[in-house]
Amino acid sequence: MDKHDDTSREPVEKIIELRLPSKLGYERVAMDTASSLARRMGFHDDRVESLKTAVSEAVTNAIEHGNQQDSAMKVVVLLTARDDELIISVADQGRKILDQDDTTSSPHIADVLEKFDKGGWGIWLIRELMDEVEFTTAPSGGNQVRMVIHLEQ
Amino acid sequence: MMLEDELTVSTRDREGVAIVDLVGDVTTFAEEKINSAYREVTNKGTRFVLLNFRQNDYINSAGIAILIGIVTEVNRNGQKLAVSGLSQHFQKIFRMVGLAQYAEIYQNEDEAISGFKRNTLRVS
Amino acid sequence: MTYPTNPITSMELILPNELGYELIARDAVAAFAWRLGVPIDRIDDLKTALCEACINAIEHGNSLKPDLHVEILCRVEDECLVIEVCDEGVRPFAPKAEPLSIVEKLAGMGSLRGMGLMLISQLCDESGFVSRDDVGNCFRLAFQRHRAASLGCSSNPGSHVSV
Repeated sequence: MDKHDDTSREPVEKIIELRLPSKLGYERVAMDTASSLARRMGFHDDRVESLKTAVSEAVTNAIEHGNQQDSAMKVVVLLTARDDELIISVADQGRKILDQDDTTSSPHIADVLEKFDKGGWGIWLIRELMDEVEFTTAPSGGNQVRMVIHLEQ
Repeated sequence: MMLEDELTVSTRDREGVAIVDLVGDVTTFAEEKINSAYREVTNKGTRFVLLNFRQNDYINSAGIAILIGIVTEVNRNGQKLAVSGLSQHFQKIFRMVGLAQYAEIYQNEDEAISGFKRNTLRVS
Repeated sequence: MTYPTNPITSMELILPNELGYELIARDAVAAFAWRLGVPIDRIDDLKTALCEACINAIEHGNSLKPDLHVEILCRVEDECLVIEVCDEGVRPFAPKAEPLSIVEKLAGMGSLRGMGLMLISQLCDESGFVSRDDVGNCFRLAFQRHRAASLGCSSNPGSHVSV
């Protein structure tokens, strides 16, 4: 950690790091943390709700798919608060690497009704609800999704 | 571990509509409860099913998949499905996903019951 | 960091050292406690206690330096939720031999600061500073997960300063 004593120079961003067990249900902790921060940043209620859903889907994916529900593995959520936006990055430990095709799928309910698997809405919802979405590889080698939500003035 | 199961599902009849009350989180853990409540009212021969939410603050894509499964069954069994009591956010999500094409969305239970009555009149 | 029991049900949270972020920590840890089945009134106690512990870490341990961090570790030990609030130890905690009572404080004997620690000790099943290998102060709070018998939370091995 660097040792600047210049307290007058405020950093432009603040980062909160959250490490969660890979167990379904704990996405709730990430949702509540993100919504607590977003409310304090001044996001409107409907945007906070959208953020909660997007965070829930990203963390649930990391738990279920990326970490294959191995509860000893961690999901790392980074919340970066800037003046005009909130960036949320969710990384898993990559027991299973996400297929790039799955990050751009766009399901249609009429087709889904015919299929046995009625799922596949998570990533699509994230893309619909967030302002910027990017799927990358985490420094740890796992899957990472970076979501940005802009603060409208 | 506790609280993986935060949904309470119960069923009741009101004016010929089978109401399934859903209180709590609608996630992957809800599957068995919702499906068995649906089977229960269907076995009684109901034609009208209302999924009555209570402004639930957590419905995720796994929960949505369960509800799409109910839509499939409702279509197969020739029933009518409606939902009520969703928060504004989840009304939006239901419309985005396309569930609104298969289930009328009402603000509350009373509106849903009136809606079912209007539809019944139109049908008969 | 190794955990003596149940490594699975653990969570870590790292906050910027700035007043206000204790409220984010409060909401995160409350959600974690809720998942573990901690009764709602105890979660209210936990929220207040955690905020006090975070404010101590931000203001005292980290001397309000904005480039430092507060680390919060939550885990299950036996039937307790254990929360450790750790700072980077700009100022080490100096335990007082005998904490002052509110009457003494109001009489102007010593600072009002210590009230946070007094409040925490009333709200938690167990609380106190623990020693850590790294530099920094580490304050431990423990809550029983279930409103069960009068069994306390098992003490952490090592030095333990009650407040």
